[in-house]
Amino acid sequence: MEAPLIAGSPSFGSITEKVSSIVEAKFSLVWLLWFGFISSIALVFFGAIGYVFWEGIGVWGNNVPNGWGWPIVNFVFWVGIGHAGTLISAILFLFRQRWRTSINRSAEAMTIFAVICAGIFPGIHVGRIWVSYWMFPLPNQMDMWPNFRSPLMWDIFAVGSYFTVSLLFWYVGLIPDFGTLRDRAKSKIRQFIYGILAVGWNGGNRQWRHYEKAYLLLAGLATPLVLSVHTVVSFDFATSVIPGWHTTIFPPYFVAGAIFSGFAMVMTLLVIVRKLYSLEHIITMRHLENMNKIMLVTGMMVGYAYGCEFFIAWYSGNDYEMAAFKNRAFGHYAWGYWIMVSCNVLVPQLFWFKRLRTSVPVMFVASILINVGMWFERFVIIISSLSQDFLPGSWGFFKPTLWDILILVGSFGLFFTLFTLFARFLPLISMAEVKGVLPQADPHHQGEST
Amino acid sequence: MTKMTTHRKSAPLGGRDYWRSLDELAESAEFKEFLLREFPAGTVELGSGLSRRNFLKMMGASFALAGLAACRRPAEKIVPYVKQPEEIIPGIANYYATAMPMGLTAYGLLVKSNEGRPTKIEGNPQHPSTAGASSALLQAQILGLYDPDRARQPKQLRAFPASGRTVAAGGMESNWSSFVEAWRQLYTDFARSGGQGLAILAESFHAPTLARLQSQWQQRFPKATWVSFDPVSDENSHRGIEMVHGAPLLPQHHFDKADIVLSLDADFLLGERDAIVAARGFAKRRRVSNERDDMSRLYVVESLLTLTGAMADHRQVLQSRQIPAFTAALLLELKRQGVALSSELVASLQKYAVHPFNSRWLQVVAKELRRHRGRSLIVVGRRQPPLLHALGALMNQALGNVGQTVSYSSLNDAAPSDHKGLLALAEQMGRGQIDTLVIFGGNPLYNLPAGMDFASLIKKVGHTIHFSPYRDETSRVVHWHLPQSHFLESWEDVRSGDGCYSVVQPLIEPLFDSRSRVEFLHLLATGKQRSGYEIIKESFAKMQRRSDGEAVFNKRWRRLLHDGFGTVKKPATTLPKFRYATVARQLQKTPFPQDIASSDKLEVVFYASAKLFDGRFANNGWLQELPDAVTKLTWDNAALISPKTAAALRVKNHDVVSLNYKGRELKLPVWIVPGCADNSVALELGYGRSQCGRVGDGVGVNAYRLRDVQTPDYGVGLTLKKTGATYKLASTQDHGSMQGRPLIREATLADYRENPNFAAKLVEHPPLKSLWKEPSYTEGYQWGMAIDLNSCIGCNACTIACQSENNIPIVGKEQVAVGREMHWIRVDRYFSGDLHEPSVAHQPVPCQHCENAPCEQVCPVAATVHDKEGLNVMAYNRCIGTRYCANNCPYKVRRFNYFNYTNRYDDVEKLAQNPDVTVRFRGVMEKCTFCTQRIEGAKATAKREGRSVRDGEIQTACQQSCPTDAISFGNINDPDSRVAQLKQQNRNYEMLGELNVKPRNSYLAKLRNPNPELES
Repeated sequence: MEAPLIAGSPSFGSITEKVSSIVEAKFSLVWLLWFGFISSIALVFFGAIGYVFWEGIGVWGNNVPNGWGWPIVNFVFWVGIGHAGTLISAILFLFRQRWRTSINRSAEAMTIFAVICAGIFPGIHVGRIWVSYWMFPLPNQMDMWPNFRSPLMWDIFAVGSYFTVSLLFWYVGLIPDFGTLRDRAKSKIRQFIYGILAVGWNGGNRQWRHYEKAYLLLAGLATPLVLSVHTVVSFDFATSVIPGWHTTIFPPYFVAGAIFSGFAMVMTLLVIVRKLYSLEHIITMRHLENMNKIMLVTGMMVGYAYGCEFFIAWYSGNDYEMAAFKNRAFGHYAWGYWIMVSCNVLVPQLFWFKRLRTSVPVMFVASILINVGMWFERFVIIISSLSQDFLPGSWGFFKPTLWDILILVGSFGLFFTLFTLFARFLPLISMAEVKGVLPQADPHHQGEST
Repeated sequence: MTKMTTHRKSAPLGGRDYWRSLDELAESAEFKEFLLREFPAGTVELGSGLSRRNFLKMMGASFALAGLAACRRPAEKIVPYVKQPEEIIPGIANYYATAMPMGLTAYGLLVKSNEGRPTKIEGNPQHPSTAGASSALLQAQILGLYDPDRARQPKQLRAFPASGRTVAAGGMESNWSSFVEAWRQLYTDFARSGGQGLAILAESFHAPTLARLQSQWQQRFPKATWVSFDPVSDENSHRGIEMVHGAPLLPQHHFDKADIVLSLDADFLLGERDAIVAARGFAKRRRVSNERDDMSRLYVVESLLTLTGAMADHRQVLQSRQIPAFTAALLLELKRQGVALSSELVASLQKYAVHPFNSRWLQVVAKELRRHRGRSLIVVGRRQPPLLHALGALMNQALGNVGQTVSYSSLNDAAPSDHKGLLALAEQMGRGQIDTLVIFGGNPLYNLPAGMDFASLIKKVGHTIHFSPYRDETSRVVHWHLPQSHFLESWEDVRSGDGCYSVVQPLIEPLFDSRSRVEFLHLLATGKQRSGYEIIKESFAKMQRRSDGEAVFNKRWRRLLHDGFGTVKKPATTLPKFRYATVARQLQKTPFPQDIASSDKLEVVFYASAKLFDGRFANNGWLQELPDAVTKLTWDNAALISPKTAAALRVKNHDVVSLNYKGRELKLPVWIVPGCADNSVALELGYGRSQCGRVGDGVGVNAYRLRDVQTPDYGVGLTLKKTGATYKLASTQDHGSMQGRPLIREATLADYRENPNFAAKLVEHPPLKSLWKEPSYTEGYQWGMAIDLNSCIGCNACTIACQSENNIPIVGKEQVAVGREMHWIRVDRYFSGDLHEPSVAHQPVPCQHCENAPCEQVCPVAATVHDKEGLNVMAYNRCIGTRYCANNCPYKVRRFNYFNYTNRYDDVEKLAQNPDVTVRFRGVMEKCTFCTQRIEGAKATAKREGRSVRDGEIQTACQQSCPTDAISFGNINDPDSRVAQLKQQNRNYEMLGELNVKPRNSYLAKLRNPNPELES
């Protein structure tokens, strides 16, 4: 028999108490120190961006042929991270995977924050940052529309709609919990703010009916987006002519990779959060194990894609394609390639073993390694392909500068700052939904676990 | 875009499989190791803040003209003309003929002037020295004119001892009248003594007026010494002719008439005198329109890999010092094969009969030369001793080439470089016999051989006066420095190498308080100032018959000013006298070296920079940033060594080595060049300036510091030691192998005849189809380009012409090192074949203007689009700088403004820019436009005249400058246009055409014409 979704048979009240108390507690010194630290790193991010604005993007390592460098690597990386949330909330919701309830809130929050991090990069990586809004289809005196043939244009729509729907979905899911927080609030300010956020939620039957319908609809809307965002992002590369980019396998490969990295990031965060806030009974080993299983599957999909690329390069008989892949595995950036393969293909294999996939330290380290590997996957795809394309006379390598590094590190700073704020001010766990999967929520089948 | 598969034929095409052998080569462990060694990873420096300042400094200097007096015409005040000058229409450029003097030759130019300021230099199409073409050096002179580091006014650094005055340490800014006053005092003294103790050290010249003033000076001061000397000169050549003929003459080589060319250490396509004419003539005999055409054959014997060597059909790599003995062996072989040669001479050569050279090669070359009597040509490089030039002349004479492929012009009106005279002057200076030394041009303190120790010699001279364009190394140690005008500011007359009389006309008033060479020499000779215009006009008048009258004279004068040159003197067709005995005696006296330099006693070879020449152009940013034609290095010189030597000495690229030669030491980085002679180190002259200006100061290493007084050209006994330090060199091309890709397609002439369509057949691909209905470009003008790789010699003239025409900024060494150079047309250089005797090919790559352009599709803001004439155009104002277009460009021709490379231009600096081309801002992508401004200009003219644009009416800047006519441009919709005709040729192919990008530029495959007897 499977372990129960929520351990220790808590009552509805104790769930509410547990989750709300995190939000209602006083600021601890540890929290303040941590927040000071991580928000300074976020400031480094904005400082580095400011410097780029001032000096020009030449402060990065980009050149010809490497027109794109780390900012685009970071963009694809963060968009990928942003996949797990909506997948967990929307697709698992539609598939009636009830175990999602313990993790969907933080996964969705992570999605939002990752997409925020990602969304910054296309804006700041352009040469004339002050006119990057020209990428949006805004009516203007020049009577110029953007070029709808450009995959970068598609990105704007894909990422834009994904962010919008994810945000809406997250917010709609938060409304009942905002109601709870409002009702429990003791200070006027809290009452006011949570009151506004709860938009008049009173938990009435009719509200629940409307709410659940809306949630279902949004889940339906979000589902195709999960697949489309990274598909479109992969078009940036797949529709080009550059060997190593011009590949039809990219859409499914990118989506699998995105889910893979997204789950890894959720894992990294939740392992910390459940420990820090003693949520082990809500985010149980069963949840973690399920996520590890998904990482095992998607990791193997990614591994399959790596192999398939090589096969197709050979099978096509296209010399340029073959050279690009040879170069990937044995060329200048081979170290990056093998980091990627080790982290993304070998590390998840640990999860074949129950003992390892239920060991918190193992999964924590593995999840971090997977994200390192996924960052390198984007690095390998973007930079190794660009550095050696058609004409050997134009080959040239990319070397990151201090500003590349600061921007990457800084983006993590922003991400964790946002997540830290989220964990402090919003309910980490979807109280309403978790209550729904408790045995007492289903009184007709008492004692039966799902 | 449909994905295309490239299949390469496994069977050799036409019997010789270039690409497979390349593949094999690329796979060989040795080659891979070489690649790793030669091209180590990532050459990037962190710390962009600092480098940015550096390049801005550089950039600013390249165009800066701060402090330019606003009253001169080029400072455009926003005040309209009260009376508009008749010949100036705002927005319409005028062209003036002038000439650029350079040693014993001069280049006829046509200079574009926009509202009174020169902006672009072209060759004068009528002038025999350029015939409309130019070179990187000539093109870059426009930047030299606007160089803010030029000397602005006379400066007195210390008082003359006799004057009794004192000058503050560091000197004081002065003016011409003070100098004239000071000079007059000396002048009267010397006039009284007949010039005892007076000497002039001048650069060589070939100019009637200067010669006239020189003799005037000599008459005034009969006891004075005049020495002309250039650190890089043709002295060996005319001394050699002098040896056989009795008088110094300049050889004129007619490559257009030669079937067989043998170059003995002569880089006649780039490094020698009058290389433009040579390249043009050579290319003429290499041009092939179909498989029935013939082409000349080029044999090259040389030590370092030059452009000429790269074009060779057969190349023998020998140390420079072996080449004289090799020539002797060749002479004996010619004799053996029955060529009539003086027996006295042959007798004196007998000791070279036993030699280490490839006898088969010698036999075949001798046979070819003999068979093509009167159609062969032997050229000897300026590095080789006079004796070898004498032997070359003798061989040409014996082969009946004199009067056919080689002729000789006299050195009237010339003061040629005189090495012996220099030594004599140095001796006089050393003995304290020189009281007053006028350094008339040149920079002896920098570029005289270190062994001479000119710095201490000059201290023994009582009065020193230096006249030069910059306050350079020499200017710091003299009493007076006087600024010399740029040739674009001067009135002069000059003869080119073939004796053609040309006039140097100013395009602009001197920007600074400077004088031209004739004005200054006039002052020296007469003690009076006079305008250059009057002096030149007087010279010209003296050349006319008095009986012609003034009207005729005025007409001729106007004609001269209009054409830029007078009548072309017919050069002598024969050498009347041949002094075999002298040559034989000389051979006995100074035998050729017969040993081979070894790795512990290396050979050192000095060669003039193809960019900075002898160092005089070191402050020119365009030239500094131009990749060397062979090494592709920018902003530095290096010790060039062969891969084998590098392996033996355990050094690799960027390693700093210490060179020791005759007790002198020089430290500089190493660059490995396949195809250089083993145990021979080549050093490029012209770098390592310390006082030339903000661009050139401290760039590279001064190789003159290793030069020996007696044998300045090459020598033996150099030792090379690794210092353990490394120094990053900035090269624009890190990979020299084509990786077996069919980019430059090449065949031998024989294979081409067998397989006329080899170029197109080299790549097989499925039919190129599109999913969509593609736009058809069949209406109106459709612009296209064809580049004949068989003509291209890789000389880089196109790159600088483009830079000048299109306001392309320079970015500085750090930016080049990270791969951000901005050149719109680059010349790729690939090695193939054997690592030690590689074959080298060059390929100019401009934007290919794909009809189905990958760059256009991906731009999110539609900043790069297609126009209806087939041009891939850039809207700079719309560009936001995503760089996606550059990523998706298979040819990597797009260039990005990573920084604000142009924002330091103030109002005056902008004068150097072409007003017809937008100056680009930071964050904007740019690339070759096919000179869209020229297209639009021609279309406007045609429209006004109610006709369509004629073929040849539009020349792109690269095309116009190309000395070999390798680039053609025009309307491909007109089947009679030259470009359309070329595209019909069977050698025509599109690089990466299999991607279905439909490039508008195509290439004509390269051919080589090896001798079947040497092919095995």
